[in-house]
Amino acid sequence: MKPNPYDAIPAVITETIDETPLIRTLRLRPERPLAFRTGQFIELGLPGLGEAPFTPSSSHFISDSLDVTIMKAGFLTDHIHKAKTGDKVGLRGPFGSAYPLEEFENRDLLILGGGCGLAPLRSLFLTLLDEVHRYKSITFYAGAKTPQDCPYKDAFPEWRKHPKVKLVRAVDVVPPGETWDEEVGVVTVLLAKLDIDPSSSPAVVCGPPVMMKFGTRDLLRLGFREDRIYLSMEKKMYCGIGQCRHCLMGGYYVCKHGPVFTYAQIKNEEGLWD
Amino acid sequence: MLIQSDELLNFLQRCRDRSLGSYRDVYCPVWPAARDSPHAILSPLRGTDRPALDGHRAVDPVKLLFYRVRERVAPFRADLAASLLTGIKACDVRALELLDRALVNEDFADPAYRAWRERTTVLSFDCTDAGPTCHCTLVGGKPFAETGFDANAARFGDHYYLSAATSKGEALLDLVRKNSRVDTVHNTIPAAVEARRAEMTAKVQKQSEAFARSDATALLRSAPPEGWKEESAACVGCGACTHICPTCYCLILNDESGPGDFVKVRSYDSCQWHGYARVASGASPRPRIDERFRHRYLCKLVTMKAEFGTLGCTGCGRCTDACPGGIDFRKAVHRLMANAEGGRPDAAAR
Repeated sequence: MKPNPYDAIPAVITETIDETPLIRTLRLRPERPLAFRTGQFIELGLPGLGEAPFTPSSSHFISDSLDVTIMKAGFLTDHIHKAKTGDKVGLRGPFGSAYPLEEFENRDLLILGGGCGLAPLRSLFLTLLDEVHRYKSITFYAGAKTPQDCPYKDAFPEWRKHPKVKLVRAVDVVPPGETWDEEVGVVTVLLAKLDIDPSSSPAVVCGPPVMMKFGTRDLLRLGFREDRIYLSMEKKMYCGIGQCRHCLMGGYYVCKHGPVFTYAQIKNEEGLWD
Repeated sequence: MLIQSDELLNFLQRCRDRSLGSYRDVYCPVWPAARDSPHAILSPLRGTDRPALDGHRAVDPVKLLFYRVRERVAPFRADLAASLLTGIKACDVRALELLDRALVNEDFADPAYRAWRERTTVLSFDCTDAGPTCHCTLVGGKPFAETGFDANAARFGDHYYLSAATSKGEALLDLVRKNSRVDTVHNTIPAAVEARRAEMTAKVQKQSEAFARSDATALLRSAPPEGWKEESAACVGCGACTHICPTCYCLILNDESGPGDFVKVRSYDSCQWHGYARVASGASPRPRIDERFRHRYLCKLVTMKAEFGTLGCTGCGRCTDACPGGIDFRKAVHRLMANAEGGRPDAAAR
């Protein structure tokens, strides 16, 4: 008998970390193990309020706890931002496709992300670091609107120390009164300084649709291969199992066949960047 | 097996009385109390009801029973009582075949739908009449079911010819045999049934003639944007078409947990509604009504065909009946296909 796909695994919030005024990370301890592969997503529900899809932001090698980084964007996420340590949430999943780590082996990997798209990329990055001997190098370009909007502030200095890691951040603007000693501009401007071979390197892109669209365009211009550009797509996903049909994009369910697609797979689908 | 129509009606009423002890519930299209209504309503059969076994399909699609408007799906406790669904027509049987593939497959099983299907015996009936919007023959169907039922009843003069297709259907026929006067005939379909079916098929074909089009529905993808705008001009985006469609099953999953439990309730959603595919950022892949209208047509005639091997349209005509804007699905598809093929509708009809 198949398990009921709508059943939730209870999980306790063990810690909350306010990353930015709009972004918060919840550390969760599920009652039953929830083994995911980085890139996959889960449905996180607040009892009585609703559930929505989120991608874990912790390494997939950690199994007893799970980080989820969530931006305040509406009714449910407002409540998630009000949740306290000790509160219970319900988890379903994991769902969908993962980043194909084997394709990254012995290669120079580019990670390009912006805003809340950094959540799944943090999971990918931490997972890669856990087995960093498998990879040649990791270039991580991270964007945010303003210095205040950068998540994982404390972690960046640590991540930077790693010899195989090249990590650069850019903010769109620096408002008066804030300080910033890294790059300024949309995150794709960082690509001008890229010093890996595009024709042999995989690239992972995650962020707001407009950033994904122009990021992909720029990567193609640089010479990255269509089948080595990995996109984490965002569509409305109620169920996670290709049943509710909301995330249908051409012939693909983003929740089931994605959320990680190569650009080559989906480049002709209607409404790709909408 | 042949049974007199009164005898079969009597049997169904006794099923409901539970005196036979086999089915707790009997669902059937019934004529509403207002005698002049031409619309049969699918409902649990009660003693005072007049079953509408013949004619064409009921107003309601069968999904209302199998896949309810609002239903708790987790935690889920299956109701195991056997039930009998009778009087449904070929278009609805075909819809069940599609939903079976969509809702119970190797990746997934909707617990409520599966439980309902397992405990229910489907006794379908041949159409003896066509409604004004019936067009099953346009979508490769017929006004009688050939697969997908447990047992089928074909009108045969004053009799029905009953045949079983599954073990549940055999069990039903055994029950009929034990409790009613029946005539056993040879197992092949009597010639009179064949003749009646041919006559009905011709009738639906005739009323669909004006909407004839090619079967290559994938061409709809290339119908020009003006065509979609024109066809959807009267659409108000109410979603009546999707809610009454026998194969639409888009769902919303709500969390309705109380303290200490996790409860999920699923309810119908409609791709015709503005918020349907909107994401948290506020972006929507189909902000305009003509885009959502197109999405539905493509889903029914292209996407579902690719997914399930059968069109998402069974030709029941309910969406046309239900549309407050008076949009006729047959006409719209006919014209859009003609545009997609690069000709005018008249050219396509020739």
